[in-house]
Amino acid sequence: MLNKAIEMNTLTSPLHLTSCMILVFFILSYPILTSLSPKPLKTDWAISHVKKAVKLAFFTSLLPLFLFLNQGTETIMTDWKWMGTDTFNLCISLKFDFFSTIFTPIALFVTWSILEFASWYMHTDPNMNRFFKYLLIFLIAMIILVTANNMFQLFIGWEGVGIMSFLLIGWWYGRTDANTAALQAVLYNRVGDIGLIFTMAWFATNLNSWDLQQVFTASKDMDLTFPLLGLIIAATGKSAQFGLHPWLPSAMEGPTPVSALLHSSTMVVAGIFLLVRMSPLLENNPTALTTCLCLGALTTLFTATCALTQNDIKKIVAFSTSSQLGLMMVTIGLNQPQLAFLHICTHAFFKAMLFLCSGSIIHSLNDEQDIRKMGGMNHLVPFTSSCLTLGSLALTGTPFLAGFFSKDAIIEALNTSYLNAWALVLTLLATSFTAVYSLRIVFFVSMGNPRFTPLSPINENNPTVINPIKRLAWGSIIAGLLITSNVLPMKTPVMSMPPLLKLAALTVTLLGVLTAIELASLTNKQFKTTPNLTAHHFSNMLGFFPAIIHRLTPKLNLVLGQTIAAQTVDQTWLEKTGPKAIVSLNEPLIKTTNNIQQGMIKTYLSLFFFTLAMALLLLLT
Amino acid sequence: MDPCFHIQPVNMAGVGFRRWAQALSKGKGSGISALLSGSRAASSASKDSLPGPYPKTPEERAAAAKKYNMRVEDYEPHPDNGEGYGDYPKLPDRSQHERDPWYQWDHPDLRRNWGEPIHWHFDMYIRNRVDTSPSPVSWSTMCKQLFGFIGFMLFMFYVGEKCPSYQPVAPKQYPFNNLYLERGGDPEKEPEDVKNYEI
Repeated sequence: MLNKAIEMNTLTSPLHLTSCMILVFFILSYPILTSLSPKPLKTDWAISHVKKAVKLAFFTSLLPLFLFLNQGTETIMTDWKWMGTDTFNLCISLKFDFFSTIFTPIALFVTWSILEFASWYMHTDPNMNRFFKYLLIFLIAMIILVTANNMFQLFIGWEGVGIMSFLLIGWWYGRTDANTAALQAVLYNRVGDIGLIFTMAWFATNLNSWDLQQVFTASKDMDLTFPLLGLIIAATGKSAQFGLHPWLPSAMEGPTPVSALLHSSTMVVAGIFLLVRMSPLLENNPTALTTCLCLGALTTLFTATCALTQNDIKKIVAFSTSSQLGLMMVTIGLNQPQLAFLHICTHAFFKAMLFLCSGSIIHSLNDEQDIRKMGGMNHLVPFTSSCLTLGSLALTGTPFLAGFFSKDAIIEALNTSYLNAWALVLTLLATSFTAVYSLRIVFFVSMGNPRFTPLSPINENNPTVINPIKRLAWGSIIAGLLITSNVLPMKTPVMSMPPLLKLAALTVTLLGVLTAIELASLTNKQFKTTPNLTAHHFSNMLGFFPAIIHRLTPKLNLVLGQTIAAQTVDQTWLEKTGPKAIVSLNEPLIKTTNNIQQGMIKTYLSLFFFTLAMALLLLLT
Repeated sequence: MDPCFHIQPVNMAGVGFRRWAQALSKGKGSGISALLSGSRAASSASKDSLPGPYPKTPEERAAAAKKYNMRVEDYEPHPDNGEGYGDYPKLPDRSQHERDPWYQWDHPDLRRNWGEPIHWHFDMYIRNRVDTSPSPVSWSTMCKQLFGFIGFMLFMFYVGEKCPSYQPVAPKQYPFNNLYLERGGDPEKEPEDVKNYEI
């Protein structure tokens, strides 16, 4: 009887999994579709429809998760054929495998918490319903991206999250800085899209398919350096790696729920997720792996350096996100995609929580975002600042919190691999910097005395603020343990290493914390009359990267374009190759001919007759 | 005051026709010539206000400065080198970022007042694009530091490729019979042969 039940379960669990995931799509699309009617939305539509839908979708997605954890069910569902030839088809194809089955509930859980928080954060906004609609469309696009089984569907999700990012960063569109930030996000993402489209074109022409299964099997013995570099460029754009990174700190112009959802947990990990999906292709290509490793290491150190001297709390957390994305890229470079995915999952919890705590503190201090004007929040908003500390501890990899399971595993894999030594140095250095800027946030925000005006609307009594942060706090504590306990590692981890290597992550983090405490104690002392600001300038101005690139490249391109369009084209066609060219080409010829012809007719005539006479004489004699 | 001000929806074609008829009756010339002269009510820039040829005499300069709503002392045309600027003024290359954010501009997002002369590259100098604000550090220092940093990183990555980091997989091997003499072995005695292997 029991055997028969188990057998039935095994046979029907793919069906259950697929049905639940499709149901998730429908639950999430329902509020969007019903909002298309001409009737105006109810004032609490955001909470009653959108948040409820996401909550319901989360619980619905738990069944596929448990089915997968229990029985290892993975399905690929291919449906409606959109278009295609005999050999090349574009279908709706959904892949519910290890990565998408685990990521979807996590994304939905984080989104649910953020939506609940946003109902408080944005409650004075007259367009809150539209805000929630945008967030929901973003979520649907993200899940399309994550569950895509072919490159085309992935691209639809990819572009969808990019567009929603633009609309949400520029939410307060009356503010020019927000418009600039949204434009930056779109442009940098577009540059990354060049790589993705190139890879798609390469797959279409060389492998005749965009389906992941066919791509993996048909490319077994091919040299995949070019498409992989295209994918890496795509990840550089979307996941803010060095070179295409400035859009992420600028994206903090958007409301805090947007920063929490898009630019920490879900959208920015899309690039890394793409590389994780394509990891079978990356495995055998050392060039691509080394590129990932070095790019990730450079990113993680550079952005951690920039985070050290920022004064806007959201910017520090944004750079922290960028640094962790660099770490995920390093993990992919180590050929450990499942560790990168684990870090994506654990990072979502504590980073979203850090953003929500920041948002709560910002609103409590009447929209003050400068940490130099905060302080003493430990006594004033104890729950929020405790969760801020918890999130920071999880971020630095404090043993047995969520971040530890992923981060420590990554550092161990780093220490025991055969890899570029400089990448190792940079990553360890960035790990210690993580501790430094995390302590900096906690020191300036929670510790010390308040540095703001007394009449601030400090209030954390609202359950719509506390419950989301509480849920994410639970996630930051147990998510790492839960995932690692229930999921088998795909690659054998190195189990034996010298104690120094095993404790390396902890050691550098502790060193970072001690250094930060030492530096913090210097804040009320002055040893030199004038400080040496070279390093500070480099860090504070983000390595001068935006200052140089955002001034030089657009100026060159626009001025060149203007000059070509307004002057060069006309000058070319009229002066160099057209009417004036005829003049300038013929003039030397005419002048030379003119100089020869002096107009001495009598002399020419007499010479002519003389020559004629000579010729006749010679002829007749 | 618009004579066609209605509260209920207006037939815009009718409004346009009325305006045209009024302009025709009041405008320069009569009937067809008014139609052909193009002097309609509320039309765009007339030929006088368009940019013209390079001003050569002081009177032409003064007229050009007046046309662009500038003081004669401030007016400076682009150099006459065949690039086709005409008498358009050469304004300082400063972007809108550098203008006072707190002043009550007519167009707050553009930080510009009505009638102000527009820079040739105005669309590049709006607040969404190039910023020419002074930086705390000079341009050359910024370039040197950024590209120096990138160059240093690339060089160190190259060095790191040449000298990778890895865990040892076998005990260390030494030549000369495991360094028999260096370890204080007896030079008279014959050491036993040690065979080390190459992987």
